[in-house]
Amino acid sequence: MPTFQILKDKMPNGVYFLSVRGFLDAHTFEELEKSITELFDAGHYRLVIDLSKLDYISSAGAGVFIGAIGTAQENDGNIVIVKPSPNVKEVFDLLGLTQIFTFAETPEAALQQFA
Amino acid sequence: MVREQISITSDTRYLSVIREFISRMIRQSALAAEEENKIILAVDEAVTNIIEHGYDSVANGPIEIEVEHDPTLFRIMVRDSGRRFNPETISAPDIMEHVRLGKKKGLGIFLMRQIMDEVRYSFREGVKNEVTLTKYIKRRPQ
Repeated sequence: MPTFQILKDKMPNGVYFLSVRGFLDAHTFEELEKSITELFDAGHYRLVIDLSKLDYISSAGAGVFIGAIGTAQENDGNIVIVKPSPNVKEVFDLLGLTQIFTFAETPEAALQQFA
Repeated sequence: MVREQISITSDTRYLSVIREFISRMIRQSALAAEEENKIILAVDEAVTNIIEHGYDSVANGPIEIEVEHDPTLFRIMVRDSGRRFNPETISAPDIMEHVRLGKKKGLGIFLMRQIMDEVRYSFREGVKNEVTLTKYIKRRPQ
């Protein structure tokens, strides 16, 4: 099994879904950054990002979300995070990111945030 | 005191090797299981800083990671021979400012300080840089 994986899917209302899995660190963050940049370049600024299967995140990984949320919101979009794993939630808490991002329990609940 | 060390070169592909090493050492130690993710993160951040700032992401610089632990503490020493990097001058980040400016870097030292009880740097000119990360182990009630 690969140590890092991104699955991409289209949801209703022009929302895009990313499931980020495995270990997001200084070695893998560029892959996620590239996926998000490609969506932004295509005009898709409404993202649901599922972190329930992300086992680990370092500040390099968190930096991708910090860099992206401003761009999404400036373009009438947003990033809604689905159910971060306990390890990932811990790092979001340490960095104070829980006050910045919107969270949802399921992808469907996240989609409601864009209704 | 139990001691063990590993050596890598300055390539981010080895971060996973370091995380596995630290995880194994934590599980042998008296540290509580809930500390594991955070301490692995602190070491990952220290090594990532060395790779990016000490060696400018050039992949052949030597990095040594030594762990020692006893019932009272868990300590990690990370040594490198790269450019001296003094994080003492770096203040705590304003996360809202990071978001406003889309700034992605500069959070690693903050995390190391948040997680560990002590973060100390020492420099010996032309020889080695060393960062020492210490977590004291609190005695659990019987």
